[in-house]
Amino acid sequence: MNIVLARIDNRLIHGQILESWVPNLRANCIIVANDEVAQAVMQKILMKAAVPTGIQVVVDTVEAASQLLCTDELGDARVLLLFANASDARKSIEMGLALKKLNLGNMHAGSGKQQCSCTIFLDPADVEDIQKIQDSGVQVTSQCVPSERKVNWTSMFVKMVKN
Amino acid sequence: MKGLIVATHANMAGELLKACESIIGPLPRSRAISVRREDNIDEIRKLFSDALEAVGADGAEVLILTDILGGTPANIGMSFMEPGRIDLLTGVNLPMLLKFFNSKESLSLNELAEMLKAYGQQAIHLASDLLKRQV
Repeated sequence: MNIVLARIDNRLIHGQILESWVPNLRANCIIVANDEVAQAVMQKILMKAAVPTGIQVVVDTVEAASQLLCTDELGDARVLLLFANASDARKSIEMGLALKKLNLGNMHAGSGKQQCSCTIFLDPADVEDIQKIQDSGVQVTSQCVPSERKVNWTSMFVKMVKN
Repeated sequence: MKGLIVATHANMAGELLKACESIIGPLPRSRAISVRREDNIDEIRKLFSDALEAVGADGAEVLILTDILGGTPANIGMSFMEPGRIDLLTGVNLPMLLKFFNSKESLSLNELAEMLKAYGQQAIHLASDLLKRQV
């Protein structure tokens, strides 16, 4: 198994994933690690129905998805892994998920969040989670779609502190 | 009186309704929803619930037309589905929109949705094929 992209995206599976990232990275397996969707039968069915045939979709809790990714059950799949937020990504890494890189895709506005890019809005808890993730040796960058330039977390953080 | 919501990425929905209006005139009980990259999910859900309230007033049936299956407009639109009263069709195009306004009162929501699904596909033509048919 090869994790070709691990991404935080609160829209989970959506247009940018299906039309941009999947073809660009030739991913053939999408794993959604999200406790809420894992319990939402209807949403799970619709989510799977939107993915082209030939691409495996696994929707499970953060814990179960992390465990699955620590086994060799997925064979030589090219995995695109989605988390809805930084805290889930951190949890997964703390559970033993080995990640080299983490992409920040969409983390949208909410109360008390500070904007750091077009689609990234963070509160202090998000910043702490991302810092912890980076400190554990994961390279964190922000990039909405493959055609955009990557921005590394450290420079985003420095810019945020200045503002 | 059926209602219509067109929901797409960027401003395509509003422009499609404008194009439709320029061909057949005013479009009663219709709303466009533009989903932008930077919009958060709660904001988009609010756009849908406001639009549904407006075009689906008094329990009227509503058809939601969206661009791509699996895209955010369709993903969020589907969460408002009420079989028989609110349904959603992807792959919106102008022929489908025109047909909606020209046939919406003669069919039930299910019949209308099925018909538009087929019509939207049949309305796509390749010019060189049309030419071949004439020869």
